[in-house]
Amino acid sequence: MKSAFLLSLSAAALAASGALADEIRVLNWQGYGTDIDWAVKAFEEATGHTVVHEYFNSEQEMLTKMRTNPGAYDVVLVNAIYNPQATAEGLLSPIDPAGLENFVGIPAEFAGSAMLNEGGALHGVPWTWGVTSFAVNTQAFDTVPDTLEVLWDPAHEGRVSVRDDAVEAMQIGALATGQDINDIRDLEAVRAKLEALLPQLRTFWGSENDWNQFMAAGEFDVSTYWSGSAARSAAMGLPVEFVVPKEGAIGWLDSLAVPASSEHKEAALQFIDWMIDPEFYVGWDAEGAPASANGEAAAALDESAFNRRVLGDPEVAARVQFQAPIDDGTRREYLEIWQALKAVQ
Amino acid sequence: MADLETPAERRRLFTLLSPAYLWLTVAVFLPLSAMLFFSFLTDMPQDAPDWGVTLGNYAEFLTNPTYATLLRKSLTLAFTVTGFCILIGYPCALVLAKSIKGRSREALFLMVILPFWSNSLVRIFSWAIVLRGNGVLERAVNWLLPFDVRLNLMFTTDAVVIGLVHSYLPYVILTSYLALQAVDDDLIDAARSMGASKLTILRRILLPLSLPGLLAGAVLVFVPVVGSFMEPRILGGRMGTYYGTVIEDQFVAVYNWPLGAALSFILLAVVIAILAAASPVLKRAQT
Amino acid sequence: MTRSPLVLLGRIWLALILVFLYAPILVMAAMSFNASPFYQLPFEFSTTWYAKMAGNQQIITAAIRSVLIACATTVVATVLGTAASVALFRYDFPGKRILQVLLFPPIAIPWLITGTAMLVFFFAVGIGRGTPAVLIGHVALALPYVIVTVSARLSSFDVTLEEAARSMGADAWTVLRRVTLPWIAPGVVAGALFAFAVSFDQFVVSYFLSEPGDSTLPVLIYTAIRKGFTPEINAISTIIVTVSMAVMFLATRYSKFGGSR
Repeated sequence: MKSAFLLSLSAAALAASGALADEIRVLNWQGYGTDIDWAVKAFEEATGHTVVHEYFNSEQEMLTKMRTNPGAYDVVLVNAIYNPQATAEGLLSPIDPAGLENFVGIPAEFAGSAMLNEGGALHGVPWTWGVTSFAVNTQAFDTVPDTLEVLWDPAHEGRVSVRDDAVEAMQIGALATGQDINDIRDLEAVRAKLEALLPQLRTFWGSENDWNQFMAAGEFDVSTYWSGSAARSAAMGLPVEFVVPKEGAIGWLDSLAVPASSEHKEAALQFIDWMIDPEFYVGWDAEGAPASANGEAAAALDESAFNRRVLGDPEVAARVQFQAPIDDGTRREYLEIWQALKAVQ
Repeated sequence: MADLETPAERRRLFTLLSPAYLWLTVAVFLPLSAMLFFSFLTDMPQDAPDWGVTLGNYAEFLTNPTYATLLRKSLTLAFTVTGFCILIGYPCALVLAKSIKGRSREALFLMVILPFWSNSLVRIFSWAIVLRGNGVLERAVNWLLPFDVRLNLMFTTDAVVIGLVHSYLPYVILTSYLALQAVDDDLIDAARSMGASKLTILRRILLPLSLPGLLAGAVLVFVPVVGSFMEPRILGGRMGTYYGTVIEDQFVAVYNWPLGAALSFILLAVVIAILAAASPVLKRAQT
Repeated sequence: MTRSPLVLLGRIWLALILVFLYAPILVMAAMSFNASPFYQLPFEFSTTWYAKMAGNQQIITAAIRSVLIACATTVVATVLGTAASVALFRYDFPGKRILQVLLFPPIAIPWLITGTAMLVFFFAVGIGRGTPAVLIGHVALALPYVIVTVSARLSSFDVTLEEAARSMGADAWTVLRRVTLPWIAPGVVAGALFAFAVSFDQFVVSYFLSEPGDSTLPVLIYTAIRKGFTPEINAISTIIVTVSMAVMFLATRYSKFGGSR
């Protein structure tokens, strides 16, 4: 199943006589695309490079690892809202899109994103995007709800879950109170809305692992979730359906970046180019993937695929509010509100 | 106790003591001193050129009631867990030390600790499978009893206590065992021949002589439980927010090491103060 | 003690505690043979997870690394910790209280903070990361447990025994080797068992300080949680607990470490 792209890569590798086989070190969430066996193997065979992974558990840890380990990583997954900060700290290297064969497929709204182009140069290749909203246990609903208010529905008291994350909770609260997620004016309204939500909860979830186990055990009727994860859970046989409600949903964009301290930038770019390749994406989507930032990759999907059918629907896309960077002060304020709400439970 | 009058004794003390403490200094004390320093800063020096020294992070603890509420909650949890560990573990150690002999004692001694050679996260999720609605425990109870029982333990404070008692029980059992096993059986026989009842023997001989071991175990339970966050989060549901959670958040959710460090050192100070306050009382009880 | 209702009651108590201690371990083992990837009940027997695990080079390498690091940590921490306990017990010197209190910070302060502190400090002083750094961290976190445990045993040590040995002409090292160490052996064994458990479960230090690709089992498990770990983790954990149990029971056949008498 060697693709034209990989063949051209290997041809290039052969042509550059004595091309060095590098070890590329990737820093990412575990199980998030870059470490899929067949994809890594195909890349390694085509280029002769080897790929080694290290994982992080939170975006803050990703930044900490980059700061304290210069030279240790060649490709890093950076959520777009952290891109300006990482770029400003000098952690990321500018990327020339001309070197990426598959870059042309990425639409301007992603490629030209101000968050990825801090200082006028591209510092992260748009890779995947997705939606944070909620998913329902289809066995608990006759008709799939279309409103966020279902989280507050007394009929589901004690059967609801949200992720234990201050920013996500505040932004869900903003959507429910009809506010801009990136500019929450009425914090008190959000706080009150969340306060009313807490008695509804069965528990908080922290990871896809908790979510799947609790959902499988029948603990939840409805819970906030990520679109890509919902696709994966459904692919694994859980009775879940992801909903983008009429109030809207939170959109996020993940980019692949090259650290300024990387010593294998050439090979890193080759790897990123493979990661945005439509062929790679189609294979990944079959296993449950977030939406691809590459329009050509999304178009290559089967029409019934969630990432094309739902997220590709312009009407749905119009309801998605993309996250903007959040400064440290706001983040801390959100955390304080969220902690205070949880502390009195 | 040997004194340190001769240089040879002093040298011996140094040889025995310095490797461990040098190791601790390099790997723990110096890094934690750096953290202590950070806790007095307004910002981390590497990303804010205008950082300054402040007591603000400690003041934050006093001004924001969330932290004190959660610290109280964590201390209550730690006392509860320690209490259960002692009540459950000490009798167990007593049986192991005084009623079981020979090879089977060695085997049981190991069996107490072996479950902990597995991963704590895997153990916590296993507890979730046991405790959850229609989980292993409910099924077992309903199989035993003729009527329908709903325990609903999962996502409660009880679940957190069960998980933590399980994780820390071996410390109390083994340290108590170590002290109890050291009590001379002749002493017990002598007391019995003089007509002492079992309760008197326990109260007047075994308990006082094994108190240091029991206390060591209690400390090894109490101290880490105050700062725990993993078990509460998974087993406690929406009740599972504790002081350890807010410390973790300062490092994981927001980039606020100074506040996270300050909260940790407040935790440490409170724990040491409690141990210090308890030590004279316990000393008196021992004599 | 003679066999009495009290003794019987005691044994029942002990048995109940063992059931409590092993309940999650048995569930862990059972789930490794359960077909559902989400740990769903009812139970459905399957050996898929063992087959998957056997083909998962990453998990096996990580498990072996973890065991090796835990063994090394146990040896070093036990030796250093026992020596320090003996010194703290035998000598009175200025600052002794402080040294004892200093054992609490590594236990009390959440490992996440200690781990972050180590990462920053090791980076600043040039120790960097890699297996030596991981070992330094693990030993340091295990040491307080060893010292507290061995000290608990020493507290009931009769000093006159040492004096008697010395009065019969034994030098200090002989006394240590022939009198003190045999007495504290159960404490040392317990300390070593705790040290192994601490290292084997230590996630934060390995996570921050190992080189990319040099994962340990806990790191693999904690980073997998975002996507969801599979019962392969249960399979490898079950194998490890079973093997260590077998090794330990062999050990009980050839040595007596629970204390003589």
